[in-house]
Amino acid sequence: MARPYWKGYLKLSLVTCPVAMSPATSEAEKVRFHTINKETGNRVVSQYIDSVTGKPVKEENEAKGYARGENDYVILTDDDLDAVALDTVRTIDIEKFVPANSIEWVYLDTPHYLVPNDQVGNEAFAVIRDAMKADKVVGVSKLVIGRRERAVILEPRDEGIVLWTLRFGDEVRPEENYFEDIEDEADPDLVPLVQKLIKQKTERWSPDMVSDPIQESLLKQIADKKKALRSPKKPAKAKGQAAAPSNVVNIMDALRKSVASEMKTKRSG
Amino acid sequence: MAQRAQWKGFIKFGEVTCAVGLYTAASTSDRITFNTINTATGNRVNRVFVDSDTQEAVPKEAQTKGFEIENGQYILIDPEEVAATIPESNKTLEVEAFIPCSDVDDVYFDKPYYLTPDRLGQDAFAALRDGMRKSKVAAIARTVLFRRLRTVLIRPHGNGLIATTLQYDYEVRSSKKAFEEVPKLKIEGEMLDLAKHIISTKKGEFDPAAFDDRYEDALAELVKAKVEGKALPKRKPVAVSKPNDLLAALRESAGLSKKGSEPKRAAANTNAGKDGGKPRRASTAKPRVSAASQRKAS
Repeated sequence: MARPYWKGYLKLSLVTCPVAMSPATSEAEKVRFHTINKETGNRVVSQYIDSVTGKPVKEENEAKGYARGENDYVILTDDDLDAVALDTVRTIDIEKFVPANSIEWVYLDTPHYLVPNDQVGNEAFAVIRDAMKADKVVGVSKLVIGRRERAVILEPRDEGIVLWTLRFGDEVRPEENYFEDIEDEADPDLVPLVQKLIKQKTERWSPDMVSDPIQESLLKQIADKKKALRSPKKPAKAKGQAAAPSNVVNIMDALRKSVASEMKTKRSG
Repeated sequence: MAQRAQWKGFIKFGEVTCAVGLYTAASTSDRITFNTINTATGNRVNRVFVDSDTQEAVPKEAQTKGFEIENGQYILIDPEEVAATIPESNKTLEVEAFIPCSDVDDVYFDKPYYLTPDRLGQDAFAALRDGMRKSKVAAIARTVLFRRLRTVLIRPHGNGLIATTLQYDYEVRSSKKAFEEVPKLKIEGEMLDLAKHIISTKKGEFDPAAFDDRYEDALAELVKAKVEGKALPKRKPVAVSKPNDLLAALRESAGLSKKGSEPKRAAANTNAGKDGGKPRRASTAKPRVSAASQRKAS
């Protein structure tokens, strides 16, 4: 389990247990680009400066300000924010249960993994999870995440629970505007043919279906560059400028080739 | 249709091709933002980009992208150029496979788009939609979309289709791994029955569209209290159900034992009940878990 980014409580009626939550998705494995100063080859970093004095601001002097008016801010500490009068800051109180799959997929926003956070709550967590499984329902609750109170649903999965934040009503565009002109019913002669094709082409889901050839190629390029650079050591200053053009060209060629071959195999397969 | 298509191209299944458009189905609205303030002066701060070594400001045109291959050594490359290496493609969402709806792993879902036919493609579109609905499958298609080679999951929705872009394999953490340290407990018998009973009393429907965010109001209240110099209320410790009390708490939740008939236990659980926005009675029980829990998310 990655380090949880939220800890709190899961509650069903009079049953309460400590839980920890972490995002189900992560950017950690993505190839990361940094911003570089072309002239020096050094990293570019962001820095805060005082808008009036123009001087750099020490990290310990940075605070969150709630704008009350023009140039009038109320400083809020993390402790202050934690005191906001909503129980949903810390407790996921399951208010309602709805049939699994009754929430439109278009409302699913961000998935998280929810697990018990202390031995004391293992059994209570399991009771809530297994009862939802047995009844084929998902729990509905709300939770403050990222300075918003979100509607969330809880889906039991294996030993844990997947918690989804849901999009707000005004974030989902009304489908009528898009779908109203489409035919209600297909030509009845065509549908069986489509179903026949579906049968031929049906496969089990596999994460291979969501591979990223660009990333794979980038990773390979980086590994190759590392190897190449390891032997001849050049002064750091000159490297940025001198090495750049040839590197770029090589990588582009390699990327183009890898993508082209990927597209080709997909077509033929 | 007044809306502008995000992407126009074709969908191809078998030897059938039909012209389609993709339209953003969901946008993200703004959350409350704070300004960063310099507490030493009370002024707002500005963000500038400086050279990590010389500390001098780096103008926009001198900034480029690179990836680090070794400590402080970078290959200069512009992600825009990387994107440009992607062939312009044939603008075709080619269905590579159909997967049973029960097989769909929703954790991969990224962004939904409404997928609609062009005037000429109606027949093929409707046949695909109804065939998929009848066979209870979703389609997996791949194409260059928004400058990356992406996989989308397509499924029937009303009279149309929704295409959801999927996260890449390396962007999704395995749920198996995330849950592997959770002890394998199987709940049966009375406990399970009680919990199912509680669920049955709370069954209903939920319309996400009708949900309201109370955070902004609560924050405004908090700011008001702080400005007026009032002490901010300390969050009350949450009483956790102890393993020995779990069965009793379930019975009581299910309405099978009267509140107050078990004085100690009932007291430990008084902070349950409906959320009415009213202050709750302080729990008399000592919380088993310290108040160390706090939000780390920002």
